[in-house]
Amino acid sequence: MLGNIIKIGFRVLMRRKFFAAVSLSCISFTLVVLTVLVALLDHAVAPLPPENHLDRTLRLTSVEMSGPDNRTSGNPGYAFLDRYVRTLPGVEAVSILSEQATAVSYVGEQRVECKLKRTDGDFWRILRFRFLEGGPFSAQDDHDANPVAVINAATRHRLLGDGAPAVGQSIDLGGRSFRVVGVVENVPADRAIAFSDIWVPIGTSPSQQYRSEFMHGFQAMVLAKDRRDFPRLKEEFQQRLLRVELPDPQAYDSMRGALLTSYEQLPSELLGARPGESRLGQFIGLLGVGMLLFMLLPTMNLVSINMSRIYERSSEIGVRKAFGASPATLVRQFVLENVLLCLVGGAIGLVVSLFILNWIGHTGLVPYARFTLNVRVFAGALVLAVFFGVLSGVYPAWRMSRLHPVAALQIH
Amino acid sequence: MKAQEQRAGATAVAPAQPGSTPAQPGPAPALVRLTGVEKVYRTQRIETLALGGVHLDVAAGEFISVMGPSGSGKSTLLNIIGLLDAPTGGVVALDGEEIRFGSDRRLARLRNLNIGFIFQTFHLIGDLDVLDNVELPLLYRGLSGGWRRMMARAALERVGLAARTHHFPSQLSGGQQQRVAIARAIVGNPRLLLADEPTGNLDSRMGEEVMELLHRLNREEGTTIVMVTHDQRWADTTQRIVRLFDGRQVA
Repeated sequence: MLGNIIKIGFRVLMRRKFFAAVSLSCISFTLVVLTVLVALLDHAVAPLPPENHLDRTLRLTSVEMSGPDNRTSGNPGYAFLDRYVRTLPGVEAVSILSEQATAVSYVGEQRVECKLKRTDGDFWRILRFRFLEGGPFSAQDDHDANPVAVINAATRHRLLGDGAPAVGQSIDLGGRSFRVVGVVENVPADRAIAFSDIWVPIGTSPSQQYRSEFMHGFQAMVLAKDRRDFPRLKEEFQQRLLRVELPDPQAYDSMRGALLTSYEQLPSELLGARPGESRLGQFIGLLGVGMLLFMLLPTMNLVSINMSRIYERSSEIGVRKAFGASPATLVRQFVLENVLLCLVGGAIGLVVSLFILNWIGHTGLVPYARFTLNVRVFAGALVLAVFFGVLSGVYPAWRMSRLHPVAALQIH
Repeated sequence: MKAQEQRAGATAVAPAQPGSTPAQPGPAPALVRLTGVEKVYRTQRIETLALGGVHLDVAAGEFISVMGPSGSGKSTLLNIIGLLDAPTGGVVALDGEEIRFGSDRRLARLRNLNIGFIFQTFHLIGDLDVLDNVELPLLYRGLSGGWRRMMARAALERVGLAARTHHFPSQLSGGQQQRVAIARAIVGNPRLLLADEPTGNLDSRMGEEVMELLHRLNREEGTTIVMVTHDQRWADTTQRIVRLFDGRQVA
């Protein structure tokens, strides 16, 4: 049956080449846009190295302190994270890391700007960077404020050149010298937590004032032993917020925030949620509605093409009905034909998407990003193509399957 | 065989009551029995009688023709016998079982298993080759591809077109196309063949070929055939002629 449907679907497609070209262009264009979006989204949130443990990781990137007349929100401070997050019980590791800063260095007379993050020893346990040279700095380095640095491959190239090994060499950051202990592969800039050019211990901060601050400048990653611990950890953190001892109780009497998974965090950031709010459901809803609206116009176009194409086949519908095809069988046949058409369009779209993603990667829009079509994106594109096929095929198929067999035979 | 014409209402078997079986012993129960069948097309303003009070029995193995001028209801009658159209009154029974026209799915199943259609304009699917066209009724029986192809080849052999399996309809003459249509109609070994002016689009030589084929199927395989025709020559070769005029059965 499927072979028969493929055969006739292909022949019908080839019968009107212009219509076929219009249909396929319409399908391909729609699916290219959606596939590129899926690929970008996948690149931003999928568990790609070094975020191998994304499925067990919770993040705290923003909090809010409020009082009768005041409210302030932003990144949490080191003191708060050190006291209320780092001490969470039953976790595998907790890392505190600074917000991204810009470090200035000079190569000869040339000024070079690099992204810098200050972090601790556990950072390298939670994120599994691939080291090209050397290794990470340790918790002891952080504790002792040793001036050591891990740099990425691009920074090695820019600051030290590609000749001699980087490990052991010194780099100048804001007038202070740091010894390179490791070189890692570049991490794309859309992986907000992992991305940087240079990582140095928090202890090397120019001032020690951060140690007493409750707000601003830092974020945390919590690596749970098992993702089933998430509810317990989230609840434990909420309980701690209720008992938090704020530094200025006259001005601020409560604090809010939440440990979020990466899937919850991105929607919260994109939708401007208050700290602690997960907008995942709303984000998925908006994404779904957005995709549907985007697909609406090409769907209507395809529905109209399908209607005329199927109408041309009314004689065939009459014959099939006469020889025993039920309306449901015909709906299945026409929807399947349309899905196959959309899969062909999807395949073309996938190839075009590959070129577009490659081009986006080369524009440097997202530093170090190399967008690819992996299995997840391929599966996403496949689902989109099938969904699009069903969406644009069901109505014409249903209408034509209701055609009275006698009338269908007479239209001929 | 010369046709024996029947007077209106003097059918060979007494009309069946809905849900009943013939009371007196005699010939085998009719394969098709129409009892007081009528078809009225209604719009908001007018009613058009396409068929009125038709009583007709078609015995298994019979070859009958239906004649009448254009608009007399021949095709409507054939469509109702073929379960393609529902009557607005009366009862249609197939093999003794009263047909309920409510479920499209059930009607499709009954057509698939029991009835083959031959149309004046062949209605072959131009995008499919001969073998695929002939296979079509078997698609809806859930048979495997191998079985379908084997049965389709056998049907094409029966109509003398075994060498044309991979031709497309447009590559065949009218007579050959009608033979493909006949192969499609008989591939599932239906008990009843309904032919709507099967020679209407053919020249006399090809028409003769098609008629010979239909007679052979009737004679050698016992296929029951109801044929609508305008051509008295062909009607005279069938066992019985039913005549319609303005939707009424006149003979």
